[in-house]
Amino acid sequence: MKNTYFQILFRGYLLAMLAMIAVAIVPSAQAQSKQLNLYCWSEYVPQSVIDKFTEATGIKVSVENYASNEEMLQKLLGGGNYDLIQPSNYTVEALRKADLLAPISEGSVPNIKNIAPEFTELDCDKGNKYTVPWMAGHVAIVVNTDKVKDDIKSYNDVFQDKFKKRIVVLDDSRELVAWALTTRGIDPNDITDENLEKAREILSKWLPLVKVYDSDSPKTALINGDVDLGIVWSGEGALLQRESKKFKWIIPTEGADAFVDLLAIPKSAKNKENAEKFMNFILQPEISVLISEDFPYTNPNLEARKLLKPEDLANPASYPSAEDQRKMHFFHDIGTKASDIDALITDLKGS
Amino acid sequence: MAVPTPLKTDTASSVLKTRPGLVNWLAISPLLLWLLLFVLIPTVLLVVYGFCGRDGLGRIVYEFQWDNYLRALKPPYPEIFLRSVIFAGLTTLVCLILGYPVGYFIGRSPEKVRNFLMMLVMIPFWTSFLIRTYAWISILAQEGLLNGLLLWAKVISEPLQMLYTPGAVVLGLVYNFLPFMILPIYTAAEKLDNALVEAAYDLGAGPVRAFSQVILPLTQSGILAGVMLVFIPSLGMFAISGLMGGGSQQMIGDVIEKQFGTANNRPFGAALGTLVLIAFAIGLWLTSRKQKS
Repeated sequence: MKNTYFQILFRGYLLAMLAMIAVAIVPSAQAQSKQLNLYCWSEYVPQSVIDKFTEATGIKVSVENYASNEEMLQKLLGGGNYDLIQPSNYTVEALRKADLLAPISEGSVPNIKNIAPEFTELDCDKGNKYTVPWMAGHVAIVVNTDKVKDDIKSYNDVFQDKFKKRIVVLDDSRELVAWALTTRGIDPNDITDENLEKAREILSKWLPLVKVYDSDSPKTALINGDVDLGIVWSGEGALLQRESKKFKWIIPTEGADAFVDLLAIPKSAKNKENAEKFMNFILQPEISVLISEDFPYTNPNLEARKLLKPEDLANPASYPSAEDQRKMHFFHDIGTKASDIDALITDLKGS
Repeated sequence: MAVPTPLKTDTASSVLKTRPGLVNWLAISPLLLWLLLFVLIPTVLLVVYGFCGRDGLGRIVYEFQWDNYLRALKPPYPEIFLRSVIFAGLTTLVCLILGYPVGYFIGRSPEKVRNFLMMLVMIPFWTSFLIRTYAWISILAQEGLLNGLLLWAKVISEPLQMLYTPGAVVLGLVYNFLPFMILPIYTAAEKLDNALVEAAYDLGAGPVRAFSQVILPLTQSGILAGVMLVFIPSLGMFAISGLMGGGSQQMIGDVIEKQFGTANNRPFGAALGTLVLIAFAIGLWLTSRKQKS
């Protein structure tokens, strides 16, 4: 009697364990081959492009979003299962230094020919062996001219006491420190303890004036009228210009941070071929132009630019003048110094 | 099977004295496994990570150091923790004031109406909490629905600043946690024996006395459960303070979440998390000691 009771319990227990293991294993076995795990910036990859890709190839795309390169690194290195990521140029430098990117198979992305030459010879990946450019952009000032009558030209013009609690900025430590350093004429890639101390001094005056920190969609607070000035991504600036001419896009006289975001395949990717198919797919002019329509950053795809509406090409936030472009500079990988920047901003924002 | 007969008392007590057999261990092993995987291991990881460093890409470097804990104890972090306690306390208070009458009323309603009313409380939960929070943003914005309505009705002449204030954060927390206060109070009120309330009236108690000396003590368990269910999660809440407070009304949950996200500093986040855990443990210990005495 006792024996059967024990047996029933034991069998039931074994079955339950087996079921749990089966549940854990089966979906991951199924997930191969017709799947692409895309880890990309929020507000950057239109759903229409993903749908068209699935339609054309039968590959299902699951999308996860991040709001900063650092967040992406954390999830990726924490064992995240991603086939395709979208790092900025300086993060590509860091990922390549640590040998974490898989090279693109030769000949799998022929559409790279559509890309303007200045974007195929980037320092972080000359000749596109590991990455293909997605979009380029910069960070600059946007002003609601209905509310702000002053002539705003520089970062220092934005961070004035009279604009207290009327400012939105990106929630991005590296950017905040870079703006502060450029006002002192210091190269934002020159992160030394001494320079960080200078940045702390400036930012401790600036940050109390900020009302909203938002990297995902800083335009929302501007459109809703909750703030009147902002330092935001150029794509957001271009969307604001489309929304209303009262929003003015200003490249700060001190200089602006520029970036190129690229698609790259982590070494740990399980569906590398699908990732390459996606790279080639989005470099087609008629697909690339869809991205520009939704998120009007600077499109590195020359063939796609030909398909753009003239008013979009004339948008100064999307396609800045040659003179403005000369004021822009790229970030480079700063290694462990990035932690010091995070710590500085976390401390200042908390106080 | 295990029918206790007087004859078998001896063996029964000796079974209790011996160590639990394999069957018993197997029976509770899912629970033990659960506790091990989802409570013990994460807590140990949290404490250990707090003593580690990290490299340029944010990967954990296993070198013993006190730095993270020391930094977490320095300004501004104690202030942020205090602010979170205040926000969570306010949220709990407002939820109690709003939730008690609602929970009591539903609990005392006829059974048919009761289920319908409970449905109404639960309906907002069918929508994602993020979507509901975004809805509040469009209501409270400077050029949002509420300001538009008030301006149109000429109640105000200038749009009010409602979004991105501490009040907006508390509003968001109350809105999301109110059902957690209503539910346990409802359960307590439902079980409340009406005869006791009637007896209080029969013995000459007025409504105030009947409430304070009969109804309140009898629904106390519901209130306590509600306070716990609202206070603890709202203290660790993130996202609401970011979305409705604009990121300048940070709560401790936001700071910790940032360390595991954009700040890419897991050791520091782990140190903060450990300290919050310790603060909770001390708080619970003090309350339970007070209750005993």
